[in-house]
Amino acid sequence: MDSNKKYWKGLEELQQTPAFVNNSKGEFAEPIPVEDVLNEAGLSTKTPRRDFLKALGFGLGAVTLAACNRTPVHKAVPYVIKPEEITPGIPNFYASSFNGQSVLIRTREGRPILVEANPNAVGLVQGTESGTVSSVLDLYDMTNKLQNPQIGGKDVDWSKLDTTVKQALVKANNANKQIALVSRTINSPSTLQAIAKFKESFPTTNLIQFDPISYSGIRKANEQSFGRAVVPAYNFENALVVLSVGADFLGTWLDGEEHTQDYIKNRNYKSLEGGKMSRHIQFEAGMSMTGTNADVRIAVKPSEEGAVLISLYNEVTGSSLPGALTGNPRAATAVKLAAQELLKNKGQAVVVAGANNVDIQLLTNAINAAIGAYGSVIDLDNFSKKYQGSEESFGTFLADASAGRVGAVMFLNSNPLYDYANAQVVKDALAKIDFTLSFADRADETASELDAIAPTSNYLESWGDESSREGYYTIVQPTINPVFNTRQAEQSLLVWSGNIINIFDFVKNVWETQILAGGTKKWKDVLQTGFEYKGKLGAKAYAFTGNVQGAASNIQAYAQSLAGEGFELALYESPAIRDGRFANNAFLQELPDPVSKVTWDNYVALNPKDMEALGLGENSVVAVEGNNYSVELPVLAQPGQALGTASIAVGYGRTKVGKAGNNVGANAYPFATVKNGAIQTTAKVKLSKVSRTYELAQTQTHHTIEGRNIIRETTFAKYLKNPASESGRFADSHKSYDLWNKFESPGHKWVMAVDLNACTGCGACIVACNIENNIPVVGRDEVRRRREMHWLRIDRYYTIEEDGVDYTKEDDIAKLNDFQNVKVVHQPMMCQHCDHAPCETVCPVLATVHSSEGLNHMAYNRCFGTRYCANNCPYKVRRFNWFNYWNDSRFDNYLNNEFTQLVLNPDVTTRSRGVMEKCSMCIQRIQAGKLQAKIESRPLKDGEIKLACAAVCSANALIFGDANDPNSEVSKALRSERIYYVLEEINVQPNIGYMTKVRNTFEA
Amino acid sequence: MRNISSVLGKLAKTMSISLMLLFAVTMSHAQDVKEGQTLFKSKCTTCHSVTKKVVGPALAGMTQRHDEEWLVKWIRNSQAMVAAGDPTAVKLFEENNNLVMTAFTDLSDDQIKNIIAYVEDEEAKAAQAPAGGSAEAGAAQSDDANTFMIVGLIAIVVLAVVIIIVLNRVIRTLEKVIANNQAAIEAAQARNEMITESRFAKFAQAFVKNKKLVGFTVLMLVAFLAVAGWNTLWNVGVHQGYEPVQPIKFSHQIHAGVNQIECQYCHGGAFKSKNASIPSANVCMNCHNTVTASDHYDGELSPEIAKIYRAVDYNPDTREYGNNPKPIQWVRVHNLPDFAYFNHSQHVVVAGVECQTCHGPVETMEEIYQYSPLTMKWCIDCHRTTEVNTDNAYYDQLIEAHEKLKKGEKMTAAMIGGLECGKCHY
Repeated sequence: MDSNKKYWKGLEELQQTPAFVNNSKGEFAEPIPVEDVLNEAGLSTKTPRRDFLKALGFGLGAVTLAACNRTPVHKAVPYVIKPEEITPGIPNFYASSFNGQSVLIRTREGRPILVEANPNAVGLVQGTESGTVSSVLDLYDMTNKLQNPQIGGKDVDWSKLDTTVKQALVKANNANKQIALVSRTINSPSTLQAIAKFKESFPTTNLIQFDPISYSGIRKANEQSFGRAVVPAYNFENALVVLSVGADFLGTWLDGEEHTQDYIKNRNYKSLEGGKMSRHIQFEAGMSMTGTNADVRIAVKPSEEGAVLISLYNEVTGSSLPGALTGNPRAATAVKLAAQELLKNKGQAVVVAGANNVDIQLLTNAINAAIGAYGSVIDLDNFSKKYQGSEESFGTFLADASAGRVGAVMFLNSNPLYDYANAQVVKDALAKIDFTLSFADRADETASELDAIAPTSNYLESWGDESSREGYYTIVQPTINPVFNTRQAEQSLLVWSGNIINIFDFVKNVWETQILAGGTKKWKDVLQTGFEYKGKLGAKAYAFTGNVQGAASNIQAYAQSLAGEGFELALYESPAIRDGRFANNAFLQELPDPVSKVTWDNYVALNPKDMEALGLGENSVVAVEGNNYSVELPVLAQPGQALGTASIAVGYGRTKVGKAGNNVGANAYPFATVKNGAIQTTAKVKLSKVSRTYELAQTQTHHTIEGRNIIRETTFAKYLKNPASESGRFADSHKSYDLWNKFESPGHKWVMAVDLNACTGCGACIVACNIENNIPVVGRDEVRRRREMHWLRIDRYYTIEEDGVDYTKEDDIAKLNDFQNVKVVHQPMMCQHCDHAPCETVCPVLATVHSSEGLNHMAYNRCFGTRYCANNCPYKVRRFNWFNYWNDSRFDNYLNNEFTQLVLNPDVTTRSRGVMEKCSMCIQRIQAGKLQAKIESRPLKDGEIKLACAAVCSANALIFGDANDPNSEVSKALRSERIYYVLEEINVQPNIGYMTKVRNTFEA
Repeated sequence: MRNISSVLGKLAKTMSISLMLLFAVTMSHAQDVKEGQTLFKSKCTTCHSVTKKVVGPALAGMTQRHDEEWLVKWIRNSQAMVAAGDPTAVKLFEENNNLVMTAFTDLSDDQIKNIIAYVEDEEAKAAQAPAGGSAEAGAAQSDDANTFMIVGLIAIVVLAVVIIIVLNRVIRTLEKVIANNQAAIEAAQARNEMITESRFAKFAQAFVKNKKLVGFTVLMLVAFLAVAGWNTLWNVGVHQGYEPVQPIKFSHQIHAGVNQIECQYCHGGAFKSKNASIPSANVCMNCHNTVTASDHYDGELSPEIAKIYRAVDYNPDTREYGNNPKPIQWVRVHNLPDFAYFNHSQHVVVAGVECQTCHGPVETMEEIYQYSPLTMKWCIDCHRTTEVNTDNAYYDQLIEAHEKLKKGEKMTAAMIGGLECGKCHY
């Protein structure tokens, strides 16, 4: 019954290294010099009498002065003319959109403080990714953003800039030279319209769309296969078998969060109770977040990805293309089994591939066509418009510029000197252009090299729109006036082309004449709802017409160029920092990577066996050389990494993004290459050890719980036989005794259920929690000292499985020859609000006490920092404020200036130094929800109160509610047979139930 | 002196006014000026003033400009006259930017005549105050005052001299008596001193000898000091009675007391939000657009109301708003610390607590002060005794659960968690 599997968080725990054992014993990572103070020398130190008297006198004086203070004079300054819609103390919500998702912006007294999903929208309707929820901080990034337009690095006013820019544009236009506008994908109808207006005035204008992380391979492959150059929409809710070859589709690949929302629908507790669970097979080199969630994960080298697809194609269609998988029996077996699965579930299966390679994507299309994925899982008609960048057109622009055919260039949301594979080529090309300008909001790597910067406003200060998919339009509306002298790019384009029109009128006009024309909706309706959806187009039938033979031979050739001596490098995006555009966001930098749990750095992930072979250990640094580029980066032992491969995250190593993001890690973009007009994120590299060492700020073994049995895991087959399998509950098996009286909760009883099957480990909840609860960012050094303040963490546990056998004994594990086959469980861990809380018992000042609603309250003002509670907490969820992080120049990550403090939630206090804090279950939201019900004189509705973490979770892994309401969602969830309570055996009676992790593995 | 003169000035003014009134009454065929005043204030002041242009023109001299019959018609329904094409009416309408005057068809002829009488009356007053007549009267009065003052002063000096002389005589007589009985007085003094000294010494000696008494006294002293210290310390940071000087002499007594304005008219937030919120200046302008309190300031705008106008950058003469508003910086009276969460709507709407329960008799406060101590003990004491307002459907479930616990007893805020830390501190 009780699972005896060995779970471990990191290799140091698995191998029980002396440092780990030592650290796990003490409460604090660093020894506290108690002995030094209490030893003989310490005690016999003489305090001179005069000093003593001075101290005494000062103390007495200070205390007296403090006590005699007059009533402090606080000014209360009301509005002169109060805006009708604002009631101080009550939030206002505005519909807007970010990254194509319709969102609601919560504002208080005119300042935006939180971004949440618009529940009535289309697509991603619950939850946002970490980047979206943290984007509100970028608005207040005032110390790094430009406050005025600049020419040649000097502040000027807009009229001066306008004159200069107009002259340059007229000059370029008259000389019949190209005016290039280089941008990320633009899907905004109003921006495109502004560019069209601009082009009317300057006919030589050329719009070049270029994305640093490109999906041009998919578009080209779809053009060759079906005659449609689009990135399709993937509806994972229709897929019972998902096979991914190197695609991190739950994280960074296309619409990761939306995929998560749909994918989980076939795997969460509701689906399981209906007896249904999808099967997910992942082939990949580095351990991605998606890989950690797979039922079966096979480590393959990047050069083998093509071969996997060729083998799969052969198995599925019965053909015999050359270049099938050789030398990886495990993968070969998996491909065979997977092919059977795919064929068995025709029309309910899909294959996705991550490589931005036309041939690989073409072959994937061929397999998908064979298994009937088109029209059910893959939708070519309601396609995504998020990624339309083309490396080819950017290449043409570079060639034109080098040939002197470009008279002026403007960069919009584009930073190629940082994120293009070959920055030198861009630099040389820019030197040949007469006038260069960027719309960047800061002097970034590219903007700082250009003639002028016309800083654009943040999306929270702008009017605009987006259209992330066919027929779907979302509005961007401002929630605050531009804080600095910035002007949004669309307005600048209109001004320069002589269109004297306010951007608001312009956007409104575009909507009224183009998007809303003929419909019943009015502009004001859109401002309220936030979006307009024309409805889903019916799927047409598509016949696959691609050249599979040609693709297979190209794949073979490419694989050969990668294989051979040295390591195969796979570049990837980390789910938090992504392509590096928002690298200055301190919340994202401190969010632990879902797999490695590293913060504030990128690193070279290697298989532990490879590290051993190279003589590398913990904190080693390697030089990575390849593609005429080299960087030095710390290494990380990554279980699950394919042997002979290395993975590095892009998006790091920025130099001109701002205080928080500068010089964090190293830039990996130059390892990429452009082949056949598509960026390839794989390369051949040489690794060599460097003598220096570097300690990564990794949270994985912080707060260890010493091998106690806290994860329960089963397989789908076992679950079908017995839903309670492996849940390990022993409620009836022995008698329990209580030291405490039973707590009554006559009104509400707030509890939570965590579905381990739904949690993908993405960490968006952590960022949402940070923002909602004013949790400080502590910085890399403090994380190394294990002082991160996150109230909610996601523990990631590995287990080893080889050839269908779970290895449980340490001796067996030692005998394994590689660490390629590991399984992962993510477990969100926060205060369990125990009814018999150990922390409450030991608090000498009753600063933490239980409430009648089942919550463990923490009164900060009562706490005087003994830290007994943290020591006594079996879940290690209590955090101690070692400093006044919000008012201490040493922690200048974001909070120490007048602007960034505006992001604080006014309903939650900022904690002082010397005070303990922990998850409050968003008590401010509970209280607000109850009050709303009371004011409206009605019972509280289930689902009305949403915790910040639960609201942001697109997988709905965190289910919160009132256990006293038998019909609430959480009550139903807690009645699931899979429910177990972590460390139930110590009878602290936690209020958070976890559901057994279920895997749909093959052997079962 | 000035006071006396102004009093006398006012006296004279009233007298002359009554004279004028008498005159006006005879002139206006015995119309009821008082009723006219009431009607004028309720119906006309929004747009008209006697002496200056507001929305409509200044009314002074209207009886000279138009005959009474015409005025009655005009006031009752000016637009009908314009429509009918009355040349005077059309001209007047056009002169005033085609601003439509409200029709008062419900007013009787007599009532309108009363209004006209009131306007004439006011006009006469206004003409008198700044013009020659009143100035002369004022000067004459101040002369009278000066004579009165001088006579009074002389009288006082004379009286003082008389008193001094009398007192001198008394002193001289007493000195003579002392000189005659010197020896007897000295003997008596010595006797007295001896008696007091020995009594005190005896008492002191007895006290020191009695250890119990000493101990008791010391104990009492210590206890007294301790109690005093304890009380002082408990009141550190308690600012009950705090009454700062505000930038505007705003009187709740006038607004909430005399004029009976509901609290929520200005502090609407108390019913919706955690903040009761100080009203923004535009809320003041809802009334003070027309209420200038000029009758208390000799026809001038109240200097305190002028501060509101300055804040919203409003020019009362042109009735236009500028674009340079300056917010009013009130001094906060009730300061809860940041770590305590208090929500007005919970208490006002849900619990139905009267504003006065915590804020005291605001309607009698000339200047607002902190009525309650705002200490945690004060909060908790109230939560312990206040019964939950169970009319609310929200409590339906709760009551059910609660009755299982407490049969028939009343349910206080404390019983449903009103004392728990996390309800106010998060």
